[in-house]
Amino acid sequence: MRNLLEIQDAHVYIGSFYILQGISMVVPKGEVTLLLGRNGAGKSTTMKAILGIHPPSEGQIVFKGENISHVPTHDIVRKGIGYVPDTRRIFGSLTVEQNLVVSMRPKGLEEPVNERLEFIFDLFPDMKRFFKQKAKSLSGGQQQMLAVARALMNDNDLLLVDEPTEGLSPLLAKNLIEALDRLKEFATILLVEQNFRTVSKLGDNYYIFDNGKIVHQGDNMDELVSDKELVAQYLGVSI
Amino acid sequence: MRMERVGNPLSGYLKENPQAKTILAVVGVIATVIIGIILVNWGVSSYGFDGFVVRASKAFVDGLALSMLLFLMVSGFFLIFGLCDIINFAHGAFFMLGGFMGFTIYIGTEAFLLDIGIFGTNYLMLSIVSFISSAIGATLVLALIGGGIEFFTIRRLYGNAIAQILLTVGFMFIITQLAEIAWGSSVITYFIVPNSEINYFFIDGVFDFGGALIFEVYRVFLIFLGLGVALVMYLAFKYTRIGLLIQAGIEDSEMVEALGTDIKRLLTIVFMLGAGLAGLSGAVLVPWIGANTGHGLTYLIYAFVIVVVGGAHYGRFEGTFFGALIVGLSIQFAAYFAPLIDSVIVFIIMAIILIVKPGGLTGT
Repeated sequence: MRNLLEIQDAHVYIGSFYILQGISMVVPKGEVTLLLGRNGAGKSTTMKAILGIHPPSEGQIVFKGENISHVPTHDIVRKGIGYVPDTRRIFGSLTVEQNLVVSMRPKGLEEPVNERLEFIFDLFPDMKRFFKQKAKSLSGGQQQMLAVARALMNDNDLLLVDEPTEGLSPLLAKNLIEALDRLKEFATILLVEQNFRTVSKLGDNYYIFDNGKIVHQGDNMDELVSDKELVAQYLGVSI
Repeated sequence: MRMERVGNPLSGYLKENPQAKTILAVVGVIATVIIGIILVNWGVSSYGFDGFVVRASKAFVDGLALSMLLFLMVSGFFLIFGLCDIINFAHGAFFMLGGFMGFTIYIGTEAFLLDIGIFGTNYLMLSIVSFISSAIGATLVLALIGGGIEFFTIRRLYGNAIAQILLTVGFMFIITQLAEIAWGSSVITYFIVPNSEINYFFIDGVFDFGGALIFEVYRVFLIFLGLGVALVMYLAFKYTRIGLLIQAGIEDSEMVEALGTDIKRLLTIVFMLGAGLAGLSGAVLVPWIGANTGHGLTYLIYAFVIVVVGGAHYGRFEGTFFGALIVGLSIQFAAYFAPLIDSVIVFIIMAIILIVKPGGLTGT
């Protein structure tokens, strides 16, 4: 099975708003797939559709060969999906340690917890330094690292990462992208990013969203970066 | 916790004028001291110095006992509100029913134990076992009732605030009416000793410090019982996975679900826990205040006042503790010093606190 995830003609409504208007895409195993596009184009909703938070009213979503379109969120996640939401959504009143504890699913890890923690500390040394501190006392960048670390507390096959560099300084954003680069060898990554330049080296293939539809797709990041017209039209930046 | 935050023009002004804030703080402290002196003076002149000391210390002990039990009841209310986003109007009815369950189970267990003759004439053991059964039994029965109500009705109405309010108000009336059918109107209060076959309850005596300084042992016991249960809850919230999940869920339940926890099951568990706490506090208060079908509404209102005074509606769990202390102590101090206003004192205090600090004691 080359594709870990497949979305087939998914239509998603949120309340009376028609958000995703028939999108189809694949996420190949072991690769980083980027979802690009302007604010409100439907990228985050695609992630929430995969997670079953906003399930599709039509079409289907297939994960590891199984149709998960109408499975409850927690059951979808337990099949091996880690989620890093766009606004971090860490639990501020809990400590870093407690945030990681509540993220562990029963039987979610094969290796001992300590080994996984060592891996996370190696990736984000700040998590070790602030292990016993309340998450709300962390800086924005540290909170983002915690949000990623939370998704690593289980053996996930797919990581859904939504705008990880949003609001971070360029240096912190670079560190985070490097961390994601290291995670490539452990999991398939579906990454939403508005600022596509920061992640252009990370991506293996991409989909460009506009108004709830996929308007362009490809697997050559260099070509995308040099396609000024496409970038200006859909990604909201001119070169 | 999704509650409208109302801007406070006063706090905005004080932020811009730190000097005014300092002056106001000094004035506040002086005013509190003056009011305190006036009240103490009034108490001493009305009841004499000895009378004042006796009444004040009794009000303090009774107030603490009531506060601890109110805290247990309201933490149940708070948990349901915090995680499920439901204002449970039936919570007072759960508390009232807990009282009757405690009473019935106590009398039933006592009769059963007498019947099988297991403790012979060891009434102490018999009473202790009956009391523990009544406390655990009332907790379990109410947890099952609460869980059942959540599972079969409320679960279908998450996100629909009006329907939830109507539903829980409905349950309040239904439970109260059923209790009145079973045990009569609020004119009758059921106490353990007069209904006990052996006319005995194991905590009966008083702590006698000479003169009129006499404290009922049971009320002192309630203080420690309340503190004990609160401590167990605190440890469970801090150190167990499910406790942490509940805390996380109060902050962001969708995210908890997105991390792989079945949030619906967690909501049912929390509803059971909340209703169980109401049942427990109702049951252990029976030897003091008895079981009465009118308790439901009274204690529901106390729950609201405690949440608002403490600022717990901003998601501050500690707010329920401080709110319960203020409400419990003020009710008892009013009962000993100004019995005419003991039923309205909590509202007066609520009004004052809301004017001075609109977010309650711990709110923003």
